[in-house]
Amino acid sequence: MEKIKILLVDDEKEFVETLSERIRMREHDSDVALNGEQALKKMDDDLPDVVVLDLKMPGMDGMEVLRRIRKAYPKVQVIMLTGHGSEKDEEEAKKLGAFEYLEKPVEIETLMKKVKKAYKSKFESSMMAATFAEAGEFDTAKEIRDSDEEQDEINKDKKKSK
Amino acid sequence: MDDIRVLIVDDEEDLAKTIAERLEIRGIHTQTASDGDKALNLIKSQPPDVVVLDLMMPGIGGLGILKQINLLENKIPVILLTGYGSRERSIEGMNLGAFDYVLKPCNLDDLIIKIQEAIKIK
Amino acid sequence: MNEKDIKFIGKITAGVTHELNNVLASIREISGLMTDILSITDEKSFPRKEKFQTSLGKIQNQVQRGVKLTSQLNKFSHLTDNYKNDIDLNELLEHLIFLTERFARIKNVALQNQSINQTITINTDPLRLQMALFNCISYLLNQTVIGGEISISPEKKGKECLVSITYKGEGINKLSIFKDSTSSDELLSLKSTMENLNGVYELDASNTAVIIKIQSNK
Repeated sequence: MEKIKILLVDDEKEFVETLSERIRMREHDSDVALNGEQALKKMDDDLPDVVVLDLKMPGMDGMEVLRRIRKAYPKVQVIMLTGHGSEKDEEEAKKLGAFEYLEKPVEIETLMKKVKKAYKSKFESSMMAATFAEAGEFDTAKEIRDSDEEQDEINKDKKKSK
Repeated sequence: MDDIRVLIVDDEEDLAKTIAERLEIRGIHTQTASDGDKALNLIKSQPPDVVVLDLMMPGIGGLGILKQINLLENKIPVILLTGYGSRERSIEGMNLGAFDYVLKPCNLDDLIIKIQEAIKIK
Repeated sequence: MNEKDIKFIGKITAGVTHELNNVLASIREISGLMTDILSITDEKSFPRKEKFQTSLGKIQNQVQRGVKLTSQLNKFSHLTDNYKNDIDLNELLEHLIFLTERFARIKNVALQNQSINQTITINTDPLRLQMALFNCISYLLNQTVIGGEISISPEKKGKECLVSITYKGEGINKLSIFKDSTSSDELLSLKSTMENLNGVYELDASNTAVIIKIQSNK
């Protein structure tokens, strides 16, 4: 198993520190930022593979942090973690390039699955995108990512109907 | 405290059993009941020294149980467990002769002190 | 109360439920960490390990219950956001039943959603519709001594929507049938709510069913 480097961003200190400890027990690397500014600074210092990001935070809000991360580090995948989010928020987050949008509290095994998927896709999409981009096929590169998302939606619907 | 027997009546079984176990660890004998019928049966068959009674319960409710206990020959002191939404009921309960009340979620030490006081008065 | 006041209550409730959810999320992670640590600790060095595991399991279950309640309460607080909305009636009934179950449980009455599988969409005020339905349920519960079942079945005829709330069981207080039921608090409240919704309610002769009729805005 490859060690994934995860940055957790949430202003709920006890929550995020405990989550971080649990992730480390699962033999991945995990670091914590308690607000958006801290998160961006940590990104500069030591780039993680995946960011798990709370939507509602004092100061710079999660959506803005997401926007900046996707702009400055397009290869880093971001999983949004939110309380009672709305469909509108989910739509916006996906539009801004969030890899996944999960509701709090999330089962740790579910979160880890998504983190691993995000990590995998980081390589796949960057490799494929690079291949297609070389060949000048930007649309194909985008399609690959979109179809992944569609599959996710289908899986989600299946779960719901159960 | 070896001889104290307490009956805990609450339809939240997880809560009743956990309080019971914590009292047991402190040497208090406990029983639990999750509704009025079970509670009254236990009170008649194995009278406890103190009843700890939740007010918000299905069926005849905490106040209904309290009234039934009041009809018994042997007076058993009752400590009410009350939540935020049942202030009026707690007042009614105290008027009906309950010994005391504690707010949920309750501090176990407070509850024990009240149990001991209830027994002294008895 | 005017709409501004109601929106204020909604806003505060939404905020606090959000915070409560964070509390639950923390409890869940902290007890989860304890579970993690237990799972790598062997029995000999940890007496009563099993007891700890079952207790932690109970914490997790209660957290789950709390999460469900807070999320439904949060959803409820958002009813005040919009006074004209396309509503999935089935979903609204599920939500209502979840929130009112505890009122019925006190009287040992079960609430049943009798929606058929087909989706009924209606454009109306979701908060007032919930309030009207809640008043119907409360009214029937007040007529009930104990036990039985209240079923709620929706039906759509063109732009008109009917919801029947019916009590089935032996628990109806016989005396109440002879009382002037229209003076009950629930029915007075129901009457004014129905006026706001541009609808009416009917009470059946045996006093065991209330039917509300509303027109969809669209």
